[in-house]
Formats: sequence, C-alpha cells, structure tokens
Amino acid sequence: MIHPKLHYLELFRVGEPELDTLVGEALKHGGDYCDLYFENTTYGNLSLRDGAVTAGGRHIDYGVGIRVLNGERTGYAYAESTAMPDMLESARAASAIADGTSAFYEHSVQADANGSRLVGRRFRGEPNPAADRYPVHVHWRETEASALIPFLQKLEQAVQGRDSRIVKVMVMLAWQVTDVLMYNSLRELKYETRPMASVGVTVIFQQGGQVENKTVSRSYRTGVEMLTESLIEEMAAQAVQGIDDRFAARRPKGGQMPVVMGAGASGILLHEAMGHAFEADFNRKGTSIFSDKMGQRVCAQGIQIIDDGTLKGNRGALNFDDEGVPGQKTYMVEDGILTSYLHDRISARHYGVSPTGNGRRESFRYAPIPRMRATYMESGQASPADIIASVPQGIYVDEFANGQVKIGEGDFTFFVKSGYLIEGGRLTAPVKDINIIGNGPEALRNMVAVGNDLAIDPGTWTCGKEQSVPVSCGIPTVLIQNLTVGGE
Amino acid sequence: MKMLTDQEIALARASMDFALENGAQKVRVTLNKSLMELFGILNGQLDKVTHALDRSLQLSLFVDGRFGSFSSNRLDREGLERFILGAIDTVRNLEPDPARDLPAPERTVRDASTGRELDLYDPAYETLTSEKRREMALGTSVWQRKAVLEQGFRLLSEEGEYSDSLFDSVVMDSNGLFARHTETSFEIGYEVTVEDPSGNRYASYWWDATPKLEQILPSLGTCCEQAIRRAAAQIGPQDHPGGKCDIVVDSECASKFLTPVLNALGGYAVQQKNSFLLDKVGQQVFSEHLTVLDRPRSTGETGARLFDSEGVATQEFPIIEKGVPTRYFVNTYIAGKTGMAPTIEDATRPRVMPYGGCKTRDDVLRKVGKGILITGFNGGNSNSSTGDFSYGIEGFAFADGRITHPVREMLVTGNFLDLWSRLIAVADDARLCMSKLIPTLAFEKIDCNG
Repeated sequence: MIHPKLHYLELFRVGEPELDTLVGEALKHGGDYCDLYFENTTYGNLSLRDGAVTAGGRHIDYGVGIRVLNGERTGYAYAESTAMPDMLESARAASAIADGTSAFYEHSVQADANGSRLVGRRFRGEPNPAADRYPVHVHWRETEASALIPFLQKLEQAVQGRDSRIVKVMVMLAWQVTDVLMYNSLRELKYETRPMASVGVTVIFQQGGQVENKTVSRSYRTGVEMLTESLIEEMAAQAVQGIDDRFAARRPKGGQMPVVMGAGASGILLHEAMGHAFEADFNRKGTSIFSDKMGQRVCAQGIQIIDDGTLKGNRGALNFDDEGVPGQKTYMVEDGILTSYLHDRISARHYGVSPTGNGRRESFRYAPIPRMRATYMESGQASPADIIASVPQGIYVDEFANGQVKIGEGDFTFFVKSGYLIEGGRLTAPVKDINIIGNGPEALRNMVAVGNDLAIDPGTWTCGKEQSVPVSCGIPTVLIQNLTVGGE
Repeated sequence: MKMLTDQEIALARASMDFALENGAQKVRVTLNKSLMELFGILNGQLDKVTHALDRSLQLSLFVDGRFGSFSSNRLDREGLERFILGAIDTVRNLEPDPARDLPAPERTVRDASTGRELDLYDPAYETLTSEKRREMALGTSVWQRKAVLEQGFRLLSEEGEYSDSLFDSVVMDSNGLFARHTETSFEIGYEVTVEDPSGNRYASYWWDATPKLEQILPSLGTCCEQAIRRAAAQIGPQDHPGGKCDIVVDSECASKFLTPVLNALGGYAVQQKNSFLLDKVGQQVFSEHLTVLDRPRSTGETGARLFDSEGVATQEFPIIEKGVPTRYFVNTYIAGKTGMAPTIEDATRPRVMPYGGCKTRDDVLRKVGKGILITGFNGGNSNSSTGDFSYGIEGFAFADGRITHPVREMLVTGNFLDLWSRLIAVADDARLCMSKLIPTLAFEKIDCNG
C-alpha cells in the first residue's frame, strides 16, 4: 500500500527541509552516511479460547531511528517522538560513532559520482503504487473487531467437527500495519505502508492417555480480504490432517541415513542451515562457513537457491527494504555455484557490489542488518515419487520445528515433528520427535536429487537473528544422501 | 530525564481515570521507561554505538464483563485519550469473560513504593559518560594481543558488546495498587570464532550481567578470553558411540532441562491440558533429591522482583520439594477459569538446591566419573504435553572425572519425568547473572545418541 508522499510527511510531522536538517546534524562531526527511518505501526490481535473470543487488543508503536555510518561502523539512536528537539538529540547521539575524520554531509553527497567512501548507489524515483507488492482492499486499521470475530468462530467450528479426539481448539488472529518513511544522506526518500496478518489455529487431541497437538498458520502481506471461507476450509483440513499417524508415530532407530525432505515447510532447513551463512554480515566478519567460498561450487549442477522479496503478498515481500533499497530477487546459488551473498548497504560497500535489498530491521529501534526474505530452492527435474522410490532405507520428513544452526561451523540440528520411514522405496511407518543433525555445506554437497514440486510454505515464519523479522521459506522435495538421524 | 518523572506517572494515573470515566469498570496501567547505551566491538575496533530510550503505557481494560489489553508509546494526553476511547469500543466488541478480574487487593504488593527496595539500582550509573563507556568497551578486546592467545588455533573474529541500562516501571490499578520497580544493569558479552590448523571453525560465547557497576568490572577483562577458551576447547571433536550415559549439564545451559518443568506448572498450560504435569501436584514425580525454591526477594540479585505483572506480591516458597511439585502458577484469570487458588503468575527466581556434596562442576565430574558433559544445546525440541524431549548437544566426553575430548553430532533424548527421577548430583555453582539459579546437574543412564 503506497499513499502519496504528503500523507507520510504529515503523519510524522516533518517536512523535507527538516529531514535535511536532521541528516546534517547527525553528520556534523563526520561520518559517511546517515539515514532516517520513521515508523508508525498499529498492531491488533484477537484470540479465541474455550469457544469464545474473549481477548483482544491494539498497540501503537511510533518513532524514528537515526543511523550514522562511519566506514563500516554504526552509530544508532532513536526517538519515540518526532518533535524536532527529540529527533535532534537522537541525531547527536547517533553521531557519537563519528571520529571527526570522515567526510561531512555535503562532501559525501558530492562524492557520490565516484563512489569513494560512500555506501553505494542511489535509488532514485518515488515509490510506484502500480508496482506495489502488498495491495490492500479492506484495511485492517479501519475494520472493527466485531467484523473479524466471526472468522475466528467459524474456523474454530470448522475444526471442532472434524475429529472426536479434539479436546481444545485455540484460534489467533494478529495483524499489523506499518507506515514507513525513509530518508538518507544520498537524498533518497522512500515511503510505503506495509500490512501483515497471521491466522493460527492450535488443536489439542487426546486418545486414551496420549495427548498430541498440532498448529497450522497462514500469514500474508494483505488486507482483511484474506479471511475467506476457503481459508477456513484449508486450515481446518490441515489442522486434523495426519493426526492418526501422529498418534501412531514412534521414534525410529537412529543413525546415518538418506533423508528425503518433503516440499514446502522443509525449506526452513534451507533458511537456517544455508541462508544464514549467506548473509553478508557473517561473511564480512569472517564468521560464516561460506566466508571464502564465493564463486565456488557449493552443490550439484542445476541447483538454484534464491532469496526473493518480489513475491506479491508473501510474508517476506518488500517493495523496499528498510534502507530504501528496492526489493529484488537474489540468486545466491546459480547452477550449484555460490554467486551472491545477501547484502545491506554496509556489506555491499565492503564487497564492492550493489545492495541486494536485504537490509531489514525489526522496528525503528534497530539498525538494519542483512536478513532473508522468502528463501527457496527452484524446482528440479525429478518427480517426488521417483525420489522416494530411489531410497532403499531412510527417512522422509515433512514438518520441522526448532531448527538451529551454528553459523561459524555450519552445524545444524532440526527437530522433526512428523515424517515416515522409507523402506524399499516406499513410505511405511510414521515417525516423530526425532532430530536431524548435519552440517550446512556438507548437506548441500550431499543433495543428490531435487524434485519438480517447489512449494513456498504460507505459514507464520519469523526469523530471530538478533531481531525478529517476518520471512517465508520453501523447497521442492529433495534427497540428502547422508544425514545423522537421532532416534532411539 | 532518565527515571520516570512525576509528570509521566501523573499521565498514567490520568489515563486510568479517563478510562474509568468513559466506560471501564476496572483498569490496570503499567508505565515502563528504559534507557540503554551500547558500545559494540569488532576485532578490536569500535563497531557500533547505540542509544535507546523507550517508554510505553500498557492498559488492561475491564469493560462490561469483557477484557482487552492495549499499549502505546505515544504519550501525549490528547492522543492517549483518543486511543483509550477506541480501546474501550474494541473491548465492547469482544465476548464476555467472567473469569477476568484484577487481583484482590490483599494479594497485591505493599512494600514496593519507591522502586529501590530490592537494591537493584546503582547510583554509579548516573556517573557514566559516553567517553567512559567507550573506554570500558574498547578495554574488553583481546584482538591486539591475540597472538599470545593463539595456541594451536587462529582467532578469526571477536565481536563484543558492553551495554548498560536503566529500567523504571510503575504498575497501578483501580483497586488502589501502586507499585514501582527500578533497576540498573551492566552487561558484557562476546562471540568468537577460531580456526584450527586444518581449517575447521569453532564458535563460542561468554557473557555476564550485574545490577551494580563494580560487580561487572572483573568480567570486562576476562569475558573475551573465556569465550575464546570455550571455542578452542571444541577443537578436535570425536564421534562418541552413545547409548545410556551418565550426563553432567553445565550451569551455563542447565536451564534447558528445568524451564520445561516450570512451564508445565503454568496454570494456562494445565487449563489447556497441554502439560505433562497435569494432575501431578502433590505427587512424587521427580527424584527426592530435587528441591526448587523460588527466591524472588533476594536483595541485590539479578531477576529479583517484589511483584509480578499483575502487581501480586512475590513470596519465597518451594516450587518442588523433595521431588514433589507443590503448586501450579495460577494468575487471576486462570484462577477465575479453573477455580484454583491464585498464586504468583510465574516462577520469579527459582533456585535448584545443591545435593550430593558437590560445590563445582569439577566436583560433579569427579563424583560421576565417566560420561558426557553437556556445555551447550543446538536445536531440538520438547513436547509440552508428554514431556518427551530430544536436543542436539555440544560438549565433552569425560572419564575418571576428567574431560577427555569434545564430542560432535550428539543428541540427548528422553522424558522430563524420567530425567528428573535420575538426578544424582546438584552443584552449588549457579551463575548469578541468570534469573534462574540452576547449578551444574548430573543425571544417570540417559539416552545419548551419536
């Protein structure tokens, strides 16, 4: 959603001359670059428990973050008021990073032509509503809770009737709308309004003395129009899907074995075990396992790994990142070769490349750092059935939780919520509560088959690297030849 | 002004009164203010300076038998009044919930009027200047003398942060509650990556936090080296056959095993039938050697609190006594829903009491003799309904009470009810910087898989 520029200037009670004044103050003692990030976010939430929507609320977060870069060093401060004296105080606090030896504001603008001591290219032009990646038809802020409550009730009822073992159903709707205005010492002015909404349903089942739970979620950058009857049907069906197998599932015998990752949510492995290691700040600091792998083969020919901010309505979509750099589709791995890290302006300058639109932040309280958007692997040639049939003995997994990776070593551990044994090329007994352990670069090298069924998971994925930002992930069915499966 | 001002507190009270005058029958207001200064170091150089000042006003509104929670950081009176009117309209749209209420006045705190009662505020905070903070932060780096430290490895990166903060909070409600909590905090943390001669990388961290400036000073000089020692200790990992092993869990990471137990005692989990401790209060479900006390009123200690988010007074009591859970944590809402007697809403500063005559981790290793020492967790999960868990672990094999080598790609699996019945030692080395005081623990015959 993109309103006219005046809407944002009035919202934040600033004029364009004041923006220049703030940047000038922040760079008064030196520094190469300054940016301002104004934010006005409204959060709303409703939750249904024990059959009734009895909890809800709204929350407002408003302020401006001011960043000064001195080389690759960052000074950051923010104000929760956009009164000029408060913002000037923050600008002075952010300027503490400067040591008085760097270029002044006017010099840095003039130096843009040859790029010396500058953060990077300019991104000219005004935001274009026609190219908006998150159009909204029915606005969250203008919708009363009374208009949203029936959706939660219908979803709860749609789930309740599907399985006699259900003992509890909880439904949650959370939305937020964020107005942002960004300005920097390159005199780039960007503004937009970002919607985000998530629906979640958690179901607790009981069979005899055994209790199982399942959570299903959907999250999009869109308006109230996402709350449809078809979404209720889709989520209710998924909430009870496979629950018989969940009750029957056991921990299998562990060991080293081939692992087939099902399409969709298994993409979290790509995000955690590979994507983070491609974020350029880890590489700039020398902490990533991929720090010295640029231009080298990291997996088999034919594999493409992408981080994409251009998927309309996707949880990871961005018209602009939080540094005002246009959202884009970035190929990190092309035909098996590592071709790009994910950059913010600092790392782009360090590596002498253009920023990739990955400079993101949780809110105006944080300086941006390289973050993923929608991370996925492109489809390959193999059919999923053929991939499973090629495995004499192994594990098929289709739902993960609690993945964790050590960026420096690349070691990862993922908890598998559901999956199946593969025996003689066929899915047999259901399994659960196992861990898959491996190493990111090794797992990439051992990826020997890629299916033709890429699915981007629509769930509420949030990445927690220092700050929380919304992301999404996806993957086709893939076969990793050898991973450690922790079982009985 | 760093602390909450009289004007800000008056605005919070005026907001409560305005809500009461415009349709709310009961109101709770929480006003928070925090100030944080951070200086980041990357490879010996100042890399980041952050100045953060936050304020927020949270409103819990009880309107016509309905309930909603709201917050805003736009603290101008007119804007707040518009926000409160909209909030009251929103609550009226929700369904009634008779279980919602403020805590009874006799349960709320009476001895937290100044915010200073727990001695968690250090006046020395006011004396720190930006220059002093910068100097302290830069002084924590070892990058300039890394050659001396690089014994059999190379230090690839060193990333540290010194920060200090002031937090000031007031809770008031329409039943007459007024409570204040003020604390300062001083923190140091480092993450490092080292590389062995074969090019293998190992990362680790260390950190400390104290409420008083003078208490953090010793850690400023040692934090980075400790992180490096922890990283270098991982060099040369070996596969371990696994099986049933005795395990020792370092105090730095032992909360991984106790936190799910405390969560399972949460009233909400019990009410939602999502707790492996459902109907287990009063029963001997853990080892008789396990006693956990809540010590919320430990003066001068990180994490101490005189009241919870509802303003309910904390008190010292046994959470688990000789293996028997004594009560669930039931806030006012869950009490109203379930009929259980209300308590404090959560464990505040739980302490696992020593057992087995061991003071330190080394004592525990000697007592156990042989097994796996867990120094960190990497991924995994636990099932809140069943208590089943499976975690990736980092650590070392030990024999004859001494560490022999690091292990890799290992998991520990089991069930919390079973795990805590296998407790064989609890040291007395809990880290005071943590809100949960959990010392080094030892358990016998636990499934460890490679």
